[in-house]
Amino acid sequence: MEAQNYLDIKGRVLNIQRYCGEDGPGTRTTVFLKGCSYRCKWCSNPESIKPQPELDFNRKACKGAAACGICLKDPFPQGAFYVLDGDDDKVHANWDLANSCTEELAELCPTGAIGMFGKEMTAGEVLKEVLKDESMYRNTGGGVTISGGECLLQPDFTAAILRGAQESGIHTAIETAGNVPWEFMEKVLKYVDLMQHDNKLMNPDPERHKKWIGVTNKRSLENFKKAYETFPDVEFIARTPLIPGINADEGHIRAVLDFIKPYKNVIDYELLPYHRYGLGKYAYLGKVYELQDYQSPSPELLEHLRSIIDEAFGRKAEAKA
Amino acid sequence: MKTIKKIAIAIGAGYTPGINSIIMGAAISAHKAGWEVVGIRDGFEGLLFPEKYPNKGLIDLGPEVIGKLNPMSSDAMGTAASMDPFNVRTINELEMIEEVDMSDTLLENIKKENIDGVIAIMMGRGLSILHKLNAKGLKSVCIPRTVENDMAATPVAFGFNTALSFCVEMLDRAKQAAVSAKKIGVVEVPGSQAGWLALQSGIAVLADAVISPEFPCDVNDLAQNLKSRITPDKPHALVVVAEGSSFVNLPGRTEDTLSDLRKALSPSATEEDSEFTINKSGQAAKTLSYALQQLLADEVYPLVLGPWVRGGNTTAVDRQLGLAYGAASAKALEQNKFGTMATFVPPHIDFVPLIDALNKVRRVENDNGFIKVAHALGIYTGV
Repeated sequence: MEAQNYLDIKGRVLNIQRYCGEDGPGTRTTVFLKGCSYRCKWCSNPESIKPQPELDFNRKACKGAAACGICLKDPFPQGAFYVLDGDDDKVHANWDLANSCTEELAELCPTGAIGMFGKEMTAGEVLKEVLKDESMYRNTGGGVTISGGECLLQPDFTAAILRGAQESGIHTAIETAGNVPWEFMEKVLKYVDLMQHDNKLMNPDPERHKKWIGVTNKRSLENFKKAYETFPDVEFIARTPLIPGINADEGHIRAVLDFIKPYKNVIDYELLPYHRYGLGKYAYLGKVYELQDYQSPSPELLEHLRSIIDEAFGRKAEAKA
Repeated sequence: MKTIKKIAIAIGAGYTPGINSIIMGAAISAHKAGWEVVGIRDGFEGLLFPEKYPNKGLIDLGPEVIGKLNPMSSDAMGTAASMDPFNVRTINELEMIEEVDMSDTLLENIKKENIDGVIAIMMGRGLSILHKLNAKGLKSVCIPRTVENDMAATPVAFGFNTALSFCVEMLDRAKQAAVSAKKIGVVEVPGSQAGWLALQSGIAVLADAVISPEFPCDVNDLAQNLKSRITPDKPHALVVVAEGSSFVNLPGRTEDTLSDLRKALSPSATEEDSEFTINKSGQAAKTLSYALQQLLADEVYPLVLGPWVRGGNTTAVDRQLGLAYGAASAKALEQNKFGTMATFVPPHIDFVPLIDALNKVRRVENDNGFIKVAHALGIYTGV
């Protein structure tokens, strides 16, 4: 990465979200990137999976065929949008035909009903957004977090944003599942203060990971270990999206603790209770959510599992003392 | 024009009982024309990944095999969970998951196997995918199948009659249970966009009310109607509701707002329940029975037929229809009617351009004959 041009590196950004309180210490700006190397069935950000920008259709925002109807004719693909007889006259999307829509076509929609998830930006443009809240980071101990999707799928872009942030004295964090070639992770970790990584399913049967996530976790685990050892000054936090019936059990929590506890720079293990807030987005993408019947863990179960982690990190003992 | 010598049969995603009868009809007709017939395993998977299967992903559907097929079953070729060659999940050279367009591979392998035409047994998204393949040069004829009978270009899709018969049997049992328990049963049947199964099965069992997606249900109005029906002599009722039905005036519904936590969890988090949420099976029965329970003194309980409807043995009507659709489709290939879909307008099977079947839903109109029959029998429909 050349010093004079690293901020010109381009990447695919899903969204930049300010005032976040969940993605690291203090109040932060989280940059969500496009593209993911996992296919978790419970994914709450399905719009982040595909690397390329993709169609986002919000029928609520449509004015109707009579008032507008621009998407029912050229240059939109034939059959991509349609109106049903006997319905209201708002258009529907045929996702198989509409997914060839480009950003230029989406911009023709006057109401924003047709839009795109994701756009190309330079690292400099992202950094400019991040720096808007520089004083807030200093007041709250916050900073910038690069998330996804999988931010390590765009290693040069992610590294460039983080490098720029560090040079401005801003705390840097990433959220990753780690399923990338080691070189990608290594490139980014040079500019990271805190890496929050997912240990989604520590079942000894790799086929179980493959079944729920699409690939085994072999490479992720190898990368995490290498990262702990190669970057002793970076802080790490392990995290698990907790889904009853899949991984919300003591065995899984203890397996993760066994994995991380030998390393002093892994400072915590967080449980993220499964939620279904992203469910509506599947409809905006024309996708079907497969985990319809799964529920959030009960407060009692969550408390029990968190108490195991607290004990492992000595927090329970401290509280008693 | 190239003379056909070999055809393939492909089955789209999802299960419908008795697809073997379509395969038999198509193969017998093709054999009479002197053609070789093969089946593509697991949707298009057999020809997308021929190395994973015996016989390069194809199944011989010669006279000997066809003679032994069970027409009641759908087990001849397997099905795929997804049948989209434009979006196939693979592992790339960096050992990462990637969805890639393999439609060219599919078409090349069809050519390589000297397949001159394809009979595709499809529903839902399968029609759009087939349309895209046709645009790239596939020579196909589509056979419609859906238990919900909501495909616009045909009044009778394969699979509907079997599902209808099963629903009637189950609703009879639900009615007996409601009579015995002196309660109000709310039974959900498939029908995400159209209420044909709910309406026709509801008529057959003389339900008290039928709720369809076409007519949003005012629960106050329905509750008042049920109150007038429940008497000391008849302390029970049966409500049939299609799974895609919507409701107005639900009691106790407050507007949910996004919490800051939700907003923080993902960039464009939306509420769980929304106009665009694809509700899981059972949601309509649960919502309606809960609402009615708050408005009525009598006990209300939900039942869901759900996936049970999509299995079982075919009825005589569907067996005949399957054989007829199959045989007619082989004829259509012979007549170069590529890019079309079979449509049964009794007593004829005709073929319409596939594009005419896309983006349309065959819905119950408020002046439909079945609505009139329901009203004549005193069944509440909300119309």
